[in-house]
Amino acid sequence: MLKCRDVPAEAEALLDGELSLGRRVALRFHLFMCGNCRRYLGQLRLLLGAVPQMHGQASDEEVDQVLKRLHDHSH
Amino acid sequence: MTSLHDNASELAQLRNGDEAAFARLVRAHHRALLALARPIVGESEAAEVVQIAWIKAHAALKDFEGRSALRTWLSRIVINEARMMLRQRKREVFLEDMQAEAPGPLVDRFRSDGHWSVPPVNWHADSPDSLLTREELADCLAALLDSLPSNQRALLELRDSDGMPFDEVCNMLGVSASNARVLLHRARSRLFALVDHFEETGEC
Ligand SMILES: [Zn+2]
Repeated sequence: MLKCRDVPAEAEALLDGELSLGRRVALRFHLFMCGNCRRYLGQLRLLLGAVPQMHGQASDEEVDQVLKRLHDHSH
Repeated sequence: MTSLHDNASELAQLRNGDEAAFARLVRAHHRALLALARPIVGESEAAEVVQIAWIKAHAALKDFEGRSALRTWLSRIVINEARMMLRQRKREVFLEDMQAEAPGPLVDRFRSDGHWSVPPVNWHADSPDSLLTREELADCLAALLDSLPSNQRALLELRDSDGMPFDEVCNMLGVSASNARVLLHRARSRLFALVDHFEETGEC
């Protein structure tokens, strides 16, 4: 039987597309029974969805510097 | 907002060499690409690696086929430039030891019978965007990302920030799948623990 303690690793394998059918079924069954782990998976999915944006946008200066070097390079 | 979903009209403009669209591309991805290069070549060389990558990307955009997200495509160019730079300097990959260390920050949240002793609190955010709209939390997360060991950072950047498939990440960084899984788990658990603590206390 899958324990809550095992769920974080299994949840990541699920989100990475690394979980076999058998392990997926075991995880689904645990989630069906356990609200804490349902919450954990939902919030982990939310968190990982936010990672691409965590560095924020470049400043005008940074963008200008990249474009200037690009311009210098092509001339 | 940056995401791994590319907009079709923006892509068409980029392929046609539209300079304003290219500037938007730089604005959206530059900092993330720097964050990817840093753990591999070090702070002082990261800006140069990413600059060269932008020049190459600019030249290659007209042939971009859209089989992966732009961000993933850009991150491959950065990694290749980073490796080339290391070869030229006859340096090894900058990454800290790829061995996984002790268990992650969630282990003390379970009882000995395997159930949660400190289950996650209910977060207020209901989307990735809304998670980062709270400036203080966004700052805390950015600081944590910067403080992670370089091996964890490189893996998290490639897999979760740049959307590279898991197998490709392992190949690119020359790390076994089992080590990659443990290191990614540590990095992700620390992010999770930080947000969870922030949601509960309002500070990180
Ligand atoms: Zn559970």
